[in-house]
Amino acid sequence: MKDKKKILLVDDEADFREIMAKFFSRRRVDFKLAASCMDALDQLAQDAFDVVVMDVTMPGLDGLKCMAEIKKVDPHLEVIILTGHASPHAGIAGIKLGAFDYCLKPIDFEELLEKIMLARKSLGA
Amino acid sequence: MLRIFAFIKESLFPTPPPALSAEELRDSFSQKYAHFRSLLTANNNALQAMADLEKIYYGGESYRMAVIRSKITTILVNVYKMVRSLLAMSSGRYGELEKIFDTISSSLEQIIEKKPAMQQGPLILVLQELSLKHRALAGAKMANLGELTRLPGVMVPPGFVVTATATRSFLTTEHFAEINRRLQVLEPDDLDALYKGCQGIQAMIKGLPLPADLEELLFVHYNRLERTAFPGCRVSMRSSALGEDSGTVSFAGLYNSVLNVDRTTIVDAYKEVIASKYGARAIAYRRQRGYRHEDIEMCVGCMVMVDALVSGVTYSRDPGPEDNGLLRINATAGIARGVVDGSQAADLYLVGRDKPYPVVYSEIRQGAVNQATGKPTGPSLTYNQLRKIAETALLLEEHFGEPQDIEWSFDHQGVLYILQSRPLAGGHSAEESAVKPVDTAGESSEQPILFGGVCASDGIASGQVFRVDSPEAMRRFPKGAILLLDHPLPEWAPLLNRASAVIAEGGTEAGHLATVSREFGIPALFGLPEAMTLEDGRIITLHAKGRAVFDGRREDLLRRKNVKRDIMAGSPVQRILTEALQLITPLNLNDPTSPRFKSSWCETLHDITRFCHEKSVTEMFSIGQTHRFDQSAAKRLIGDVPLEWWVIDLANGFREGAGGDAKTIRIDDIVSVPMLAIWRGISAYPWQGPPPVSVRGFGSIIFQSTMRPELDPSVPSALTTKNYFLVSKSFCNLSVRLGYHYAMIESYLSDLLTESYVTFRFKGGAADQQRKAVRARLLADILQRYDFRIELRSDSLLARVKKRSVPFLEQRLQVLGYLTLHARQLDMVMDQPGAVERYREKFLREIEEMLGKTVSTRREADDEGQKENPVG
Repeated sequence: MKDKKKILLVDDEADFREIMAKFFSRRRVDFKLAASCMDALDQLAQDAFDVVVMDVTMPGLDGLKCMAEIKKVDPHLEVIILTGHASPHAGIAGIKLGAFDYCLKPIDFEELLEKIMLARKSLGA
Repeated sequence: MLRIFAFIKESLFPTPPPALSAEELRDSFSQKYAHFRSLLTANNNALQAMADLEKIYYGGESYRMAVIRSKITTILVNVYKMVRSLLAMSSGRYGELEKIFDTISSSLEQIIEKKPAMQQGPLILVLQELSLKHRALAGAKMANLGELTRLPGVMVPPGFVVTATATRSFLTTEHFAEINRRLQVLEPDDLDALYKGCQGIQAMIKGLPLPADLEELLFVHYNRLERTAFPGCRVSMRSSALGEDSGTVSFAGLYNSVLNVDRTTIVDAYKEVIASKYGARAIAYRRQRGYRHEDIEMCVGCMVMVDALVSGVTYSRDPGPEDNGLLRINATAGIARGVVDGSQAADLYLVGRDKPYPVVYSEIRQGAVNQATGKPTGPSLTYNQLRKIAETALLLEEHFGEPQDIEWSFDHQGVLYILQSRPLAGGHSAEESAVKPVDTAGESSEQPILFGGVCASDGIASGQVFRVDSPEAMRRFPKGAILLLDHPLPEWAPLLNRASAVIAEGGTEAGHLATVSREFGIPALFGLPEAMTLEDGRIITLHAKGRAVFDGRREDLLRRKNVKRDIMAGSPVQRILTEALQLITPLNLNDPTSPRFKSSWCETLHDITRFCHEKSVTEMFSIGQTHRFDQSAAKRLIGDVPLEWWVIDLANGFREGAGGDAKTIRIDDIVSVPMLAIWRGISAYPWQGPPPVSVRGFGSIIFQSTMRPELDPSVPSALTTKNYFLVSKSFCNLSVRLGYHYAMIESYLSDLLTESYVTFRFKGGAADQQRKAVRARLLADILQRYDFRIELRSDSLLARVKKRSVPFLEQRLQVLGYLTLHARQLDMVMDQPGAVERYREKFLREIEEMLGKTVSTRREADDEGQKENPVG
């Protein structure tokens, strides 16, 4: 039985992953990190997660395409997309493709945490 | 033919939806409810972001494009979520909304993403080739200088400009993408990070190789300058940026100039000037004045350095508070840099603008310097030099058609060279002089009569108070009066073109009415405690930003125009926001009862939120109408009111473990907050039975029963013989058919004010139309006293109250519970003399007593609780 209590953070920037890891640890959030879409899909195959937090702009498969792949595997898994460029297009495209919500970089940690909690609530987690 | 009959039959007597089991009903409700909650949350987010955006726009402070993009994205995403939620709630009934949203959304994106037009041309242009038409290629600074080379008697050092086309070949789209990526992650208030980030970007630019063709051309043109001047001549490299041609924005001193450049340093100097676009100072300035980084493009001017004896800056018109007919000249020995950047003391001369250009004032702070000894020898400028400067400055002013800010140098041969000429940025304008700090209310000589709340729209206004609480009062609203509201509902928006200000006891800056007030530029103060104590007709002065209401007309406050110089005026970012707001905030859908309250009339995102919100509430209301349910889903309520009451639990409306397979449920097992409130009203006083009915009244009952068999209590069907509560912890829908009238109470109670509402629908009766209407009017009158918004048409009553605290709404539910029971069959006696007054008096007395009891019982319970749990 998989333990569904985790956040998977997907971002190609090592610095950002490091900052987020510190933040999640401080707030006692159970999380794992992935550096690319492929990495994320591998981890999702091995473990169960509540919410995926993912950057939109990544080399290789970008965040929106990656989300589509993730949704193929688990349509109910909630995804929060991160974007460094406040683009209405990216935000709406994300929501249309099934993202639960989006957050802008630089990240407001509390805002992200609130959105993660809302996403988990919508799952009934 | 059979099909036609079937069609007609279906039109007239539609097949009812299949009856749902308790489980199916629960599922259907919880799905609809989840969408409803999500819609309300999105509505709050969207309205808040709209309010933020308007506050930014009208606030007079500077704002950044990144913030605008972020707010607009938040609005779009949340409005889209609302559309999706409404579609899910209504089984796609309002599908056309998605198309309307897409149209508005793509128009907004075009506005936000609009890039300045780019003109392409040669990589380098010689100064003599330039004129004003080359501003978009060479920048205003160099184009102006080029123009001057053709002006008789004006000398400009030989030079050339490396154009914007060259900059684009040096910094490609990929480079800009990387620069933008680095800029976007910089926290605007973190200065350390800003400086560090800027250094990184500048280092990156300086490290890039120059394209080979550009480098070669740079040397070709330097060689030409050498031939014009002398071998090994030194040049200055200065910025000449595109997009800095607004008269109200100076852009002075933002970028690096590199002096004494020769063949060996020219490439690095070029890169340094280009990189200075990303200096911390320039970035901060652009943010402050509303310029995006892409609005500014750097060009680099390269001119032979003048061997300057004395240099300075001249304003062709002294920028004092009024025109004094003088020129202002600052001068210093050597080059002009010290005057330009303010690092060096300079002599000041005020010279008459008319011949013979008399020196009316001088202040020698530094003077001319003996080259050998380094000691001052007297004033830095001779009269002849001053006259030459004055003549040239006036010539330039005439040529460009406006006062000029001119940088110049005299060389050792006495030749005056113009190094720069640009429009003079405004000094102390009349507008600026009007800017005075706003007194807070407390500093005024007289104390305000009311103080507090939130400033929903800035401004000061005076007028007579006019309270509006009904459509009738709305019609009587006098032009120029101050609109006083208990709660600022969007329904009152049409009054804003007649009101001079708005005051409300409830509400926030994020509501629809706040938005519209700002749009109309009408001062508005919301959430003002005790606002409703202001008497009708009283003359007051509202100081919205000071959050204060003063007695009488306060001329001292009204005189203070409170004009703020708009720091963003004319900037590209302001232009973008002005355009974008047109698609976001205007509210065209004010009145839900208007035939124009349709999705096809949604022209802005605000319209869509209003439409979605209204329709979502309707969708939630309709649960009792659109869902038929299996009667076995309901449990009979065991309580002390001797009628049939049935309860269906939709989600957590029963105490945990209660219910199960039992056919009944006790009132003690109900935990639905709104249902318990209604029940307190129903059970407060026993029903005293039907009022004594005359023979005529009885005849009417028989008549109604014959004409409307569906109302006959002996005909069994759901919702006719029984009274149903559909409940969850925070939600309750009560459908009642008591006798011949139909009543429905629905409520959702939430800690979030915007989610909470109570709605009451009442219609019918057994008596004739006139008596039914009299009863409905009696109920409307009573409910109006308890803050309900009323819509009354004949015997059909709709009463609503929303966005209030849970205890407040619980009391209203109690009132509705009481009236639902005690208004039974009352229509029968509504024609008896004095009946309306008698019942009104009785109802009000009992309701007051009931509410008084509730409040005191609760207070006692609270006191008990506090005794048991002493604080500290």
